[in-house]
Amino acid sequence: MRFECRGLTFTYPGANRPVLENLSFSMAAPGFNAVFGPSGVGKTSFARLVAGNGKQGSGWFTYEGISTILYSYNQERLPGWSSTGSHLDKVCPPGKEGLKQELIRIFDVESLMSSRFSQLSMGQQNRMNLIRYLIQDFDMLILDESLANVDEALRETIILAVKQIFPDRLFLYISHNLTEVARFCRDILILGHGENLVVRGRDYCQGYLPDKEGLDRTMLEIMNAV
Amino acid sequence: MLFRRIYQFLIVYVLALAGLMAIKYTVGLSDYVIPGLELIRETAGRVASGYFFDVMNTLSVTVLGQLISIIMAFTVGILGRKSSWVGSFIKVMAYNIQAYPIVALAPIIFILLGDGFLSRLLIASMICYFPLLLSVLGIMAAPITDIEHFYIATGRMRWQLEVKIRAFENLSKLTTVIAGSATLAMAGTIVAEFIAADAGIGYSIRIALYQSDLAGILVALFMIGIIISIYQGMLETLGEQMKTKWSAPKGGELL
Repeated sequence: MRFECRGLTFTYPGANRPVLENLSFSMAAPGFNAVFGPSGVGKTSFARLVAGNGKQGSGWFTYEGISTILYSYNQERLPGWSSTGSHLDKVCPPGKEGLKQELIRIFDVESLMSSRFSQLSMGQQNRMNLIRYLIQDFDMLILDESLANVDEALRETIILAVKQIFPDRLFLYISHNLTEVARFCRDILILGHGENLVVRGRDYCQGYLPDKEGLDRTMLEIMNAV
Repeated sequence: MLFRRIYQFLIVYVLALAGLMAIKYTVGLSDYVIPGLELIRETAGRVASGYFFDVMNTLSVTVLGQLISIIMAFTVGILGRKSSWVGSFIKVMAYNIQAYPIVALAPIIFILLGDGFLSRLLIASMICYFPLLLSVLGIMAAPITDIEHFYIATGRMRWQLEVKIRAFENLSKLTTVIAGSATLAMAGTIVAEFIAADAGIGYSIRIALYQSDLAGILVALFMIGIIISIYQGMLETLGEQMKTKWSAPKGGELL
């Protein structure tokens, strides 16, 4: 599996400056990878370009072993005419019922299955939305702040579980949480106003032993790169 | 909702009547020009029951015409929601045709179809169809990106689901537009009856007009207003019930 980007430049129609300029990097293994940077540097634009959501930039992407790319973001909604459980049932592909139940348990949303989406808090909505993506067939899933508003402990549980359940898929995690990105992601693409580069994260997995010194070093490296 | 509609109409009607009386007594007009309250009451006693059935006759055409226009507007709105050339063509046609005053076409309809039920029905449905169509087109052509994205990305989007999402998200707008179109359909039917018909309240108003019977016209207006208020109130209540039934939480707790 390999995901590579070469010379990507993207300018919004009518804008003076490109939001992404000559972006090149490569991610060569499945797992949790991240896109990190301050607001407005083009993280979401980049994610949408990768997912091919109607935007076209100059430059090219290479996808090896990746045919299905899904893009999820934190403002998505489930339709309001029936319960969230019923919506999850409807979009669950055959044979994925067990996975769905497991994710419902890990994401701690069992008690929300009979509620309407609009009744849920932001964090609950984001968890519910992410579950329906994870039960689909995909090779690469972009999580654009998909765990925003979820409390830190549960977020860690979810990320570690997802890493364990889907070891052969590529995740592109977009977050503003420096510690989280440094701890759980392997390759971290730093988008800044200057040069863009990839920093190697700690990539902690289930049962990890915290390495404070190493984590601080990685965080410092990321901060310096931003 | 229903009672609010009725008393709002009553307030407007009484104010209008008070305005007429004020003009009458200020300028010193005779009962022939503006009838006094006693004459209006007397006329009401004489014609009220006949006018009631006339309004009901008009209302039956109105309801049927509105139903036809709703079906047509949704069919064309759903077909025209896409940004394909067919969708664009339908939208351009709809915007251009609605700019033309449909009432002006009424004489052609009467020449071709003659007086009677079909002509009234056709004019009623045409007059309320275009405003309805523009609203439905606008609603159906506007994507609800944050809901539709998942279904598009996973290849689950079907036209029925797309329509369902957009209709559900715009339920308030749709019910308001449908309730509002009742007045248009009623206006269309009455106009048709004014021009050339042999039944309905419009026909009765035309007779009252030829007799310069303003009292009769005022009674007819009261009948039209009160019945259309009840009808609109019922439509709005129905819309509210639909919204509640479709979207209200069933089970689960507010979290």
